Amino acid sequence: MSDTTLHGTEAAEAADRATSADDPTLAALRAGLEGESELFVEGADWESVADAVRDETLIVNMGPQHPSTHGVLRLVLELDGETVTNLTPIIGYLHTGIEKSAEYRNWVQGTTFFTRMDYLSPLFNELAYCLGVERLLGVEAPPRAQAVRVILTEFNRIASHLVWLATGGMELGSTTVMTYGFREREHILDLFESQSGLRMNHAYIRPGGLANQVTDDFVARAEALLRRLPEKIGEFEDLLTENPIWNDRLRGVGVIDVERALALGVTGPLLRAAGLGHDLRRTDPYCGIEQYDFDVPTDTAGDSYARYTVRIEEMRQSMRIIRQALDTLPSGPVMVADRRIAMPSQQQLGADGMGNDPAYIRHIMGESMEALINHFKLSTEGFTVPAGQVYSAVESPRGELGYAITSIGSNKPWRVHVREPSFVNLQAAREMTRGHQVADVIAVVASIDPVMGGVDR
Amino acid sequence: MSTPTATGTRLANDALAARLTARFSGLASDEAYGELTVHADAATLVDLLTFCRDDDAVGCELLADLSGVHWPRGGHDIELQPTTTGWPTFRLSQEEGRVEVLYVLRSIRHGHVLRIAVAVDDEDPRLPTATGVYETANFHEREVYDFLGVEFDGHPDLTRILMPDDWVGHPHRKDYPLGGVDVPYKHDKHVPPPDERAIREVIR
Repeated sequence: MSDTTLHGTEAAEAADRATSADDPTLAALRAGLEGESELFVEGADWESVADAVRDETLIVNMGPQHPSTHGVLRLVLELDGETVTNLTPIIGYLHTGIEKSAEYRNWVQGTTFFTRMDYLSPLFNELAYCLGVERLLGVEAPPRAQAVRVILTEFNRIASHLVWLATGGMELGSTTVMTYGFREREHILDLFESQSGLRMNHAYIRPGGLANQVTDDFVARAEALLRRLPEKIGEFEDLLTENPIWNDRLRGVGVIDVERALALGVTGPLLRAAGLGHDLRRTDPYCGIEQYDFDVPTDTAGDSYARYTVRIEEMRQSMRIIRQALDTLPSGPVMVADRRIAMPSQQQLGADGMGNDPAYIRHIMGESMEALINHFKLSTEGFTVPAGQVYSAVESPRGELGYAITSIGSNKPWRVHVREPSFVNLQAAREMTRGHQVADVIAVVASIDPVMGGVDR
Repeated sequence: MSTPTATGTRLANDALAARLTARFSGLASDEAYGELTVHADAATLVDLLTFCRDDDAVGCELLADLSGVHWPRGGHDIELQPTTTGWPTFRLSQEEGRVEVLYVLRSIRHGHVLRIAVAVDDEDPRLPTATGVYETANFHEREVYDFLGVEFDGHPDLTRILMPDDWVGHPHRKDYPLGGVDVPYKHDKHVPPPDERAIREVIR
């Protein structure tokens, strides 16, 4: 007996057992047996949406496993024909409890968690967290560490925008853009790998400075990238700017104005594409970024195409910042001198392929018992951070990335809350898609550029 | 490409606090690490937020962040490494448990930031919603409800946002058990809390 017949028999029996004529489930079951097909879907959030809409409205569930939803984003669309009348983003499928886990690790280990949130801009997560911890500690990273932080995060911004171009292009049907975008990103990841040892999730920026001194070929690698990237970004513009399909799909789609964007908390390229040149690098500069000369690109259209032009120009401006930072790169240590905070960061590659700091090892193993005790305490319990609350924010590729850190004076955070730009910007998707067609939902979500690792945390 | 910058005047923290206390008498405020915190109560919260948004000098267009911190009742030893070294433990003592909800407001016009802190009883945490003033509070309040159990009266759709719909408890509260809860999607396996586990027990 096949499954279908078995199911049919059971349904018939259930219908036979039916005594109450007004039970909607049984009535529907009967109707199903008589040839009028009905579909039942269960799930708490689904019912609340399904009950609230009119009969003519079709409800379509997009995601969470859908190639164009940027990861596990689920969108419940209410459709009138082909027109979207409402959109409800349902998130949480990638929730990993990073904020909670960080409460049970020491302050340095926190970077290892937070770098994994928004996996396309890991260095911004580390930077915002470390700036908050440093503000609580009352220390400031040395000038060289600050400059390297700026260089690496701006490269990270380019890499993140390249992935946005790549995935956004792919979702709109251009696989060429996809391959080009990921290809250029690989070269930036090579730079990150040469400095931190990891292509993503670096945990390279630490409270007090950097995990390790930059390598000798850091400047040469960065220069090579700066020579390579402008031409490649020009290739994207050649491919897309005048492309009729790209224009038709993006122009006038997902429009939001400044007032609504601010009410909905939208920041970053979306806000700048709507016409307000708000950039935390300007208003609340960090790591000495105010000493570099750069523009904040804006547009006035507020649609998906404006976001494309703004992001392209942002990549150029990031390269301008990197150019100046490389020219004025100070020398010196990359970690604060305070030995109560600083782990050794002047490591050298040994013959065994492992990094070590011979001078430091000689000091703690041969010269000073107190230094050894300090090293042991630092490695096991970590340092304590004065009690208090801070909110430190940086301009991530997606907008304002803020870390609300609460310390009670112990060696672990009491609470770290992350203001994720993807999480907040996603609220605007409803308004941006209303009245558009289903295919435009893809373009709008792509232009918002949510990273689900950051949304769900 | 134009380069707009902040056009207004950035108020220093004390000027900002003075501006708010002039309108709302009895408002406590403190400044730490260069950041201004204004302590409001649930009754004046919405008025205060509306004032911060609409007043020309304060002019906070953006609710940058909304989060919560749980401060449980009673004494709590904050352990460093007591079992191995006997290093000092910190003790945190609290008469009444409370959940502190923090609103970070940013003025793009003027360039200043302030934080509004509202503490509510953690037994039945309840606050009026800020969605009427700042629509962006919608997701944030759902998150605070999900993680800390604060109920926001008047919220259009106060449901869990990151945890599953049928989840029991609010995980970011400090009284939420660590371990000792059934692991979903693993045949409801029960993992005992760390202090009840045999030291060499392997939990798969």
